[in-house]
Amino acid sequence: MTHARIGEIVVSRDPDDELVALGLGSCIGVVMIDARAQAAGLAHVMLPESGGEDGRPGRFADTAVPELLDRMLALGADRGHLRVAMTGGAAMFGSGGQLDIGMRNAEAVRAALSSAGLRCHAAETGGTQGRTVRVSVGSGDVTVRVAGGTAIDLLGHREATSTGGRAA
Amino acid sequence: MTISLTETQLDALRELANIASGSAAGALSQMLSREVDISVPRALALPIADAIDACGDPEEEVSAVLIGVAGDFGGQVLLLIPPQQGAQICQLLGVEPRTEVGDSALREIGNILGTSYLNALAAMTGLELMPCPPLLQIDMVGALVTSVMSQVAGEEDLALVLDSDLMIAGEQCAIGFMLLPTTGGIDGLLRPLGLGTAAS
Repeated sequence: MTHARIGEIVVSRDPDDELVALGLGSCIGVVMIDARAQAAGLAHVMLPESGGEDGRPGRFADTAVPELLDRMLALGADRGHLRVAMTGGAAMFGSGGQLDIGMRNAEAVRAALSSAGLRCHAAETGGTQGRTVRVSVGSGDVTVRVAGGTAIDLLGHREATSTGGRAA
Repeated sequence: MTISLTETQLDALRELANIASGSAAGALSQMLSREVDISVPRALALPIADAIDACGDPEEEVSAVLIGVAGDFGGQVLLLIPPQQGAQICQLLGVEPRTEVGDSALREIGNILGTSYLNALAAMTGLELMPCPPLLQIDMVGALVTSVMSQVAGEEDLALVLDSDLMIAGEQCAIGFMLLPTTGGIDGLLRPLGLGTAAS
């Protein structure tokens, strides 16, 4: 199991590996998978904008998305076969207006995906509950679990083969 | 610009946390008519991911009471109560846990602890610190703590956590008490003590 801690990006081509981000609150877990290349990546994004600071690209939506994409491509993933999912972005203590970092994070990740020319295939964001996301590198399955709940599928390999996985 | 804290500064922050959590322990003791002990506070200045790791298993479920701070200070106070211990506290107060009344009792505990903690900090530093109404949430500890840290974090990958445990005598019961200042908030606490970070 490989943990993406807050602000970190992890990628893997080991089919037995699982990428995990535990306890996402206002943070976003961004997942990219190329099932054919058996490559998967996960970024645990903390804040929407880097404001030019680029020392830790994984912390910010606008830098983490391109960095995750670069690392997937370097791992042999094919841009045309990439499937993308995102989860998190909750307002853990209720909606905080300007302080609703979760919502701003989700918007910033969507904007960064769109500037990278990527479509988001599955998203489970917002609300007031924390989430854990798990990515199975071998099967390409992505599951999300809330506190006290069971894991539900966010992105499944069956869906991936039936819809082809070409971004619109 | 990178902020790093010296041992002297961390010692001073630890001492502030010690006195302030002593005051919170006194308030809790009065509320429950029990003796309340405090652990030696930790003052952690760590990269954010390491600070989250120091809070234990991120998926563990806790009741968290968040108390924002208005006034001269940037930061938040966070109380973490494991569910069983929250239930024990409710029983000590004679209310049913995980009901509306039980939740409101935990919020009130948070309010009183947070207020006495902040009053003690204000008395030592001369800062004006006003607690905001407490917010209660039961969820994964990682989700709760990272969300609060995202609010106080600046450009720096640095989290300062001042925490201590309040232990209720005769019960297997402890409340985790954390102060999470912004970078400016850290300086705000240290400057009145002549140990400000803003030099150079």
